[in-house]
Amino acid sequence: MPNLIEVQNLGKSFGDNEVLKNISENVEKGQVICVIGPSGSGKSTFLRCLNVLEKPSVGKVLFEGNSLTGIGERELNNLREKMGMVFQSFNLFPNMNVIENIKLAPLRVKKMADAEATQQAEKLLERVGLADKAEQYPQSLSGGQQQRVAIARALAMNPEVMLFDEPTSALDPEMVGEVLKVMQDLAESGMTMVVVTHEMGFAKKVADEIWFMADGCIQEKGTPETFFKTPKTARAQDFLSKILN
Amino acid sequence: MKKNKFFLFIIIFLLALIIPFTHVKAASDNYLQKVKDKGTLVVGTSADYPPYEFTSKENGKTKYVGLDVSIAEKFAKDIGVKLKIRNMNFDSLLVALETHKVDMVIAGMNPTPERKTSVDFSKIYYTGNQYMLINKSDAARFKKIEDFKGKTIGAQTGSLQYSLVKQQMKGNDVKGLAKLNDLVIALQSHKVNGVAMEEATAKAFAENNRTLKVINPGFDIDASQTGSAIGFPKGADSLVEAANKTIDEIKKDNLINKEYIPAAAKNMTTNSKKNSMMNYWTYFAKGIEYTLIITVVSVFFGFVLGTLFALMRLSHNKLVHGLAVSYIEFVRGTPLMVQVMFVYFGIGAVIQSLPALVAGIIAVSLNSAAYVAEVIRSGIESIPSGQTEASRSLGMSQKETYRYIIIPQALKNIWPALGNEFVTLIKESSIVSIIGVTDLMYQMQLVQSATYKGVIPIFIAMVIYFLMTFSLSKVLGYFEGKMKHA
Ligand SMILES: Nc1ncnc2c1ncn2[C@@H]1O[C@H](COP(=O)(O)OP(=O)(O)O)[C@@H](O)[C@H]1O
Ligand SMILES: [Mg+2]
Repeated sequence: MPNLIEVQNLGKSFGDNEVLKNISENVEKGQVICVIGPSGSGKSTFLRCLNVLEKPSVGKVLFEGNSLTGIGERELNNLREKMGMVFQSFNLFPNMNVIENIKLAPLRVKKMADAEATQQAEKLLERVGLADKAEQYPQSLSGGQQQRVAIARALAMNPEVMLFDEPTSALDPEMVGEVLKVMQDLAESGMTMVVVTHEMGFAKKVADEIWFMADGCIQEKGTPETFFKTPKTARAQDFLSKILN
Repeated sequence: MKKNKFFLFIIIFLLALIIPFTHVKAASDNYLQKVKDKGTLVVGTSADYPPYEFTSKENGKTKYVGLDVSIAEKFAKDIGVKLKIRNMNFDSLLVALETHKVDMVIAGMNPTPERKTSVDFSKIYYTGNQYMLINKSDAARFKKIEDFKGKTIGAQTGSLQYSLVKQQMKGNDVKGLAKLNDLVIALQSHKVNGVAMEEATAKAFAENNRTLKVINPGFDIDASQTGSAIGFPKGADSLVEAANKTIDEIKKDNLINKEYIPAAAKNMTTNSKKNSMMNYWTYFAKGIEYTLIITVVSVFFGFVLGTLFALMRLSHNKLVHGLAVSYIEFVRGTPLMVQVMFVYFGIGAVIQSLPALVAGIIAVSLNSAAYVAEVIRSGIESIPSGQTEASRSLGMSQKETYRYIIIPQALKNIWPALGNEFVTLIKESSIVSIIGVTDLMYQMQLVQSATYKGVIPIFIAMVIYFLMTFSLSKVLGYFEGKMKHA
């Protein structure tokens, strides 16, 4: 499988605080990667460097062979639209209803015709099980519903890869399942995904590879079976024992 | 960065200093010719000083009348041009002359040595006595200067009477106000015990207010200082000469005593007959119209410019950011009154035909822009960064993000504050009356002069301001409610 994303010697510092240290990894097309690790270890920063919401301090990120750093605003926007992102806090646009949220980028960025954008948005809403909520405003939806709309909104740009940053962490427990279900369906449809998560069940079931992150480095990676049964590093063993108790 | 800002200030200040001088240099004496070329003589005066100059209403129209106006009319006729009167505060007259807002100043003005250092004067055309206006109830107490010991005396700021009181009534406090009407109100409410005034003016006030009385307190008067003369820009010899010729003719035929003063007296009595406020509703209507024009136009430009400055301040470009910050801080750190005068007299020195109304609108808009910019900036900064991140991750540019996501949400947040700014401007715009814009405040002063009534016009203006701001608040509140439910 060809590499969709290549990370080369990536480093990121905020002032004196070196958050990411010399990371080099690849994401293959169709792969589902779950990034796990203690809080504050740099997982969000790493994910945000992948679509350059955060500018890497050193190193490179390549997407489909094109560098995302050192390019113009316009080229970056063009590449970025192919990388969907879903946030912990949903970040739906409160000034628009559900279907407008989904149609906005296709209309404004892709210059899609309105009828086509509507049709596509309706299909996506059906796919995430919210066909009846098209006209509602985000504030009137539950957290789980909002997150599913956010996923549909990202999918509306037909991305090559989906980045998830703890998509279920802000949800009440009874709503976690409906979002994970949508994500699992997406993975099964062949979407390339990088998911930062604390849902170990999901990681075990869906991930092709687990990346364990601590202190700004990917300490260890492997298939779910080997990683969860026989973690190699002391940091990973310690982390897993804390999480599983 | 700090250094940049500093230099910017220096440059602005240097410009501000240089601009007024650029014209002085050009002033060779072709003044008379220039006036003839224009075809109009622009005359500055302060029309609350009967019988010299005051306003009268004829067929619903405000007219400037009085002996000074008659002289100006004759002068304009003699040199074959039309006359245009610009009415303003007495204090502003000399500045207006120096900055070439007006060609000459006639306002019962005494050619004192201090004034002669900055402007040139014609011959003296009329000499009047210096009297004191007091409350009738005090008539037994106050007869001569000595009787006022320890009391407060009112006088028009910048006037001869003001310096007379200062020099010859050393033991007294002087209260200086720009408008005679305000001084008379102060007298009637016993804030001052007497108002030093020119004879004819004092008599006019006493005639129209039964509670007031005129006395001659016996000021020691240097005859050369009590006469009135016409003021011209320094070096305008050709105009001075022409004016002296007109004055000679007036004196020869004794026109002032035979024609001008009787005509003024007639206007004063017709004025006092029509002292009911109902006769002056057109004054207030015109004032409301101008106040609303200034406010609406300034709100519009203030909003457009304010948005621009807010975006500049949020910019990552240090120069652009610094410019916006300097502007906003500077404007918010100086009084609107000073800004209005700076725009009118300062910028007006470069663009001489700049009308007071336009100058007022420019100043109020520029002022409002700084406040609106801060409202908008805080509105934009209150939008969570997650909104920008979500938008940018969808491939939208920074511009599209602002246009479709940030600005619409920010507007909803700042709408109440913007509405508030609108209401504030209705009130604050009253400042432009000092440069002679005919807004509600200014019209109120005209009604005061015309009716010799001090408090009632103020009360009416106050009620009108309140009705305007109150109904605007209600309308804005209605739309605010609608937006919330959208
Ligand atoms: N914008 C920022 N400015 C300064 N420090 C930041 C910023 N974002 C993250 N950090 C710091 O980077 C470190 C890693 O944060 P993050 O990537 O959010 O970790 P994780 O997602 O694994 O919890 C933390 O110490 C955090 O304080
Ligand atoms: Mg995180």
